[in-house]
Amino acid sequence: MRQIAFYGKGGIGKSTTSQNTLACLAEQGHKILIVGCDPKADSTRLILHSKAQDTILSLAAAAGSVEDLEIEDVMKVGYLDIKCVESGGPEPGVGCAGRGVITSINFLEENGAYEDTDYVSYDVLGDVVCGGFAMPIRENKAQEIYIVMSGEMMAMYAANNISKGILKYANSGGVRLGALICNERQTDKELELAEELAKKLGTFLIKFVPRDNIVQHAELRRMTVVEYAPDSKQAGEYRDLATKIHANKGNGIIPTPITMDELEDMLMAHGIMKQVDESQVGLTAAEVAVA
Amino acid sequence: MSLSAPETIEEIKQRNKELIAEVLEAYPEKSKKNRAKHLNQFNEGKTDCSVKSNIKSVPGVMTIRGCAYAGSKGVVWGPIKDMIHISHGPVGCGQYSWASRRNYYIGTTGVDTFVTMQFTSDFQEKDIVFGGDKKLAKIMDEIMELFPLNHGVTVQSECPIGLIGDDIEAVSKQKSREYGGKTIVPVRCEGFRGVSQSLGHHIANDSIRDWVFDKMEGKPATFEQTPYDVAIIGDYNIGGDAWSSRILLEEMGLRVIAQWSGDGSIAELEATPKAKLNVLHCYRSMNYISRHMEEKFGVPWVEYNFFGPSKIAESLRTIASHFDDKIKEGAERVIAKYAALSDAVIEKYRPRLHGRKVMLFVGGLRPRHVIGAYEDLGMEVVGTGYEFGHNDDYQRTTHYVKDGTLIYDDVTGFEFEKFVEKIQPDLVGSGIKEKYVFQKMGVPFRQMHSWDYSGPYHGYDGFAIFARDMDMAINSPIWGLTKAPF
Amino acid sequence: MPQNADHVLDHFDLFRQPEYREMLANKKKNFENPVAEAELQRVVEWTKTPEYREKNFAREALTVNPAKACQPLGAVFAAVGFEGTVPFVHGSQGCVAYYRSHFSRHFKEPSSCVSSSMTEDAAVFGGLNNMVDGLANTYNLYKPKMISVSTTCMAEVIGDDLNAFIKTAKSKGSVPEAYDVPFAHTPAFVGSHITGYDNVLKGVFEHFWGGKAGTVEKLQRVPNETINFIGGFDPYTVGNLREIKRIFDLMGVEYTMIADNSDVWDTPTDGTFRMFDGGTTIDEMNAAVHAKATISMQEYCTEKTLNYIKSEWDQETVSFNHPISVQATDKFLMEISRITGKPVPDQLKLERGRLVDALADSSAHIHGKKFAIYGDPDLCIGLAEFLMECGGEPTHILATNGGKAWEAKVQAMLDANQFGANCHVYPLRDLWHMRSLLFTEPVDFLIGNTYGKYLERDTGTPLIRIGFPIFDRHHHHRYPVWGYQGGLNVLVWILDRIFEEIDRNTIVPAHSDFSYDIIR
Repeated sequence: MRQIAFYGKGGIGKSTTSQNTLACLAEQGHKILIVGCDPKADSTRLILHSKAQDTILSLAAAAGSVEDLEIEDVMKVGYLDIKCVESGGPEPGVGCAGRGVITSINFLEENGAYEDTDYVSYDVLGDVVCGGFAMPIRENKAQEIYIVMSGEMMAMYAANNISKGILKYANSGGVRLGALICNERQTDKELELAEELAKKLGTFLIKFVPRDNIVQHAELRRMTVVEYAPDSKQAGEYRDLATKIHANKGNGIIPTPITMDELEDMLMAHGIMKQVDESQVGLTAAEVAVA
Repeated sequence: MSLSAPETIEEIKQRNKELIAEVLEAYPEKSKKNRAKHLNQFNEGKTDCSVKSNIKSVPGVMTIRGCAYAGSKGVVWGPIKDMIHISHGPVGCGQYSWASRRNYYIGTTGVDTFVTMQFTSDFQEKDIVFGGDKKLAKIMDEIMELFPLNHGVTVQSECPIGLIGDDIEAVSKQKSREYGGKTIVPVRCEGFRGVSQSLGHHIANDSIRDWVFDKMEGKPATFEQTPYDVAIIGDYNIGGDAWSSRILLEEMGLRVIAQWSGDGSIAELEATPKAKLNVLHCYRSMNYISRHMEEKFGVPWVEYNFFGPSKIAESLRTIASHFDDKIKEGAERVIAKYAALSDAVIEKYRPRLHGRKVMLFVGGLRPRHVIGAYEDLGMEVVGTGYEFGHNDDYQRTTHYVKDGTLIYDDVTGFEFEKFVEKIQPDLVGSGIKEKYVFQKMGVPFRQMHSWDYSGPYHGYDGFAIFARDMDMAINSPIWGLTKAPF
Repeated sequence: MPQNADHVLDHFDLFRQPEYREMLANKKKNFENPVAEAELQRVVEWTKTPEYREKNFAREALTVNPAKACQPLGAVFAAVGFEGTVPFVHGSQGCVAYYRSHFSRHFKEPSSCVSSSMTEDAAVFGGLNNMVDGLANTYNLYKPKMISVSTTCMAEVIGDDLNAFIKTAKSKGSVPEAYDVPFAHTPAFVGSHITGYDNVLKGVFEHFWGGKAGTVEKLQRVPNETINFIGGFDPYTVGNLREIKRIFDLMGVEYTMIADNSDVWDTPTDGTFRMFDGGTTIDEMNAAVHAKATISMQEYCTEKTLNYIKSEWDQETVSFNHPISVQATDKFLMEISRITGKPVPDQLKLERGRLVDALADSSAHIHGKKFAIYGDPDLCIGLAEFLMECGGEPTHILATNGGKAWEAKVQAMLDANQFGANCHVYPLRDLWHMRSLLFTEPVDFLIGNTYGKYLERDTGTPLIRIGFPIFDRHHHHRYPVWGYQGGLNVLVWILDRIFEEIDRNTIVPAHSDFSYDIIR
């Protein structure tokens, strides 16, 4: 059984990319389990065609405790028999979503959710903000992490931060950075930047997923592109990504995250960020005008 | 190191130095450097004890310290008898501190009084993940329904509350409004805050300031005021300590309007800003609120010590000095009244205890306060230290200890054991976690937190029990049995 | 002046003297804003009513006086059962002070355990540094043979990963790479102390048998004739484990006691403090993989552990529920005999006969009496079986840490016994619920831990102290409650209380003392 995880900044298209890729892996005959680790619980909607799945944590809260749940209560089966669970979590601003991830994964493991599965994929919220969101990269969990990013500055910051999180666990455990996936935002020099960042992190860009409106059309119908328009060009792109990820088994690396300065230098070198004029730092607009 | 027992002060100091160096050798470099700052001896003429204090404990060494929750729930708030104190979080903290501190009180437990009960929100995984505010609100409702005679509620936060970001203040405010302005006090005493119980005392003091005093502001006294109104601050009534203290203050003509917090009630807390003088026993745990009352309400405060007749007499006179001649005469009358008892106690026990050496390691005030009582019995304290003292405690200690007294701050299990092994005192006074270690070594021991389930030790009545207990420990025939004759 | 140098009055006499009574009455009247006496009495009486009981049982959020502790306590209980082992609790330090005090108050023994002393900065940045420094300090100061790591709720909420932290600490030289540091996550907000016991035990088995967190090969099991024995979280561990060893020796059974804390919690006073004493050795733990079977005396303390042993290692596992009664002990011995092929020797048959003899002599005093029982799930079952064997009638059985499966099991036991006909089972309830039960459906005796004394005071139900913790009676933990000898001890404790109660009720001259019999 192979365990992988998709991490990335919120809104980057992480869930879309992961669900389309996993649907392709399912097409290729693999048995898939998706574990959504985002309190928003939107990691499986395209597979299940549903708005939101009942989550482990909401069901556990209703039943009393997680020990009162059975695996059938939380696991749904969707497109191409892909098994789906959502960890779920609290409303924004209360409780501890990170702990929720720990609770859910422990529950799944203890109750044999991973039996008869070729791929377990964790879809994890934004950043490795606390120990709980690092649960999928602990030892004996995900072997490779795929970071979904784009040419936007914040997405690259996040990719670097996630690499730091992986590094922390990589020395003691077996987790590795699989590769970067660039989900095109059509920013300047996007491919070039993505490749450069990948190189700096010690990895490579496994796929540049081009932007295509068909993805949005499929999403409106709560479907993956692969299911909505199997013969489309975009479906082919995802198939390509799936094939590459499958072939990438065991090729993960221990990332070499860079400092903020290095990251900024890189952005400046590509003209994404302007060189800062130190003499202007801290000056108000009026002061600048006078100067 | 010389094998013969040190006799001169120089020999003692040399031995202490070597002993400290020897103990430190066992540590890895980083911790050795850290612990070295906490171990020293008192040198005559210094204004403190030359140790660092109130610093994080070293991990993995068996510190004797507890946490902020223990300081707030266990020490300051727990004894307030007519309020319900919710241990908010998982079940353990409230369970381990349930009724174990011997804060005596009078009341109908479970109906109008709640000290020896364990109210907990018993957090489950779902409460951590989804937050516990709704549960807390429901708990308040259930308390009001099942315990209608309560005079208020406090929320004693355990570690997870601060980590998951619950808003216990909002819940408390809302429920207070809902229940006609009932006093509901949220306390942010999560165990990971600070370095010991000490921050818990401070946080609890501040919560009284913010959630009890502030709502009383401008309201008239609910009791008849006199010029002789005092409040006992920082006596937790362990084994009845505050009672055997109160009786002396009342006999000298003062009127005790409040006890903080042993056998205390919310009404007494509310009354205290109207006192003429606050008399402060445990400086460490309640100096904060005493200072606040001085600044805000103009109530002066004075420290006192009710261990042993010498310090009691001194303290009664100091307290009386804040009042008129009637009270001063009252103090003399009380001292005279109890002289016969004290003399009889000393006459009986001093010959049995004279010259015996004591090592202490306790909490708030006792590492210094009890020294006088031992000295009244002819005993000598040769080592002392604070579990959670600050530098102002060590400064105050200089008035009590002799030249060459070994000082150990936040002592580790390892250090304490080695010190006692080498110094071979006749008695060790510390807590439950230390008791059996030293008894196994054949060293007589008394618990100086709980009075070993005896007490009171405060006041003249308490001194008799104190003397009897120390004699009982040191001169027990069982210490002659520890070595088998074969 | 009440105090007197010749006859020193203790607190219980001192404060009942008139000076103090008057002082305290004035304090109440003038300063405490007391509840009016009539109102107080009205509410006192109201709390005894069925109406109050109904409200009390409708509680959904509040817990009052629970009969359970948290996981980390059980973690420490298990860890000290291994030779030369320091329990290392990763999280806030106050917790460790609590566990140590709690055990010392019960066993009247030292209780050694360290904390990684995490504070506010560790809450934000994680506790890795605390683990690195802490392991180094514990290793250097106390020279333990093993350090057993568990967690507090703080470390669990922020999600510290013990496996990764320990490996990092080893790579930084805190302890040698090959040094044994088994670990278990023991969140306080899941289960109770018995869950923590289970988790740590499973962690130790996984460590030694399962390849030490991936650092060495897994062991190869070659079944032999020995059996492993696990006592569970047991307040009578000192007396019980020694009694079981005696029984196994009598039978000629080859055995390994797992997590044997019977010596470390019963060290002599002879001039030497033993931080460590006895305990299961590392060699024994390694060899235990080959055992024919693993026996647990407490099913609900070892659910995960037994499951691991059975499913991963194909070892037979057998569990009991704190057997005390003749029949439960019979069953235990016959199972041991079946597994090992060793017959139950005549000596034990003799001991059995003596216990039956004692029951025959005395059970008339228990027969028909109603009992309320609370405690850990297994102990409740063991006690109920014993009482029913004597003709006693369990009426309320309550376990704050008992779940639905436990409830069903207890119900089945009651259904199968005429003496269990009028009994109800209360999982997940606390001692405030028990208070309502004792007022509305009174019983003759209550069996429980020290906290039961508050129920005795409030409801007048005489308390027989069996359970954990027992703080206010000394040394009972040194006696076994297992084996036929153990059954005899339990019988005597129960009888003593029953006779004391009869005497207390008949002691008034010229009123009730016609029944103040010299022979009972």
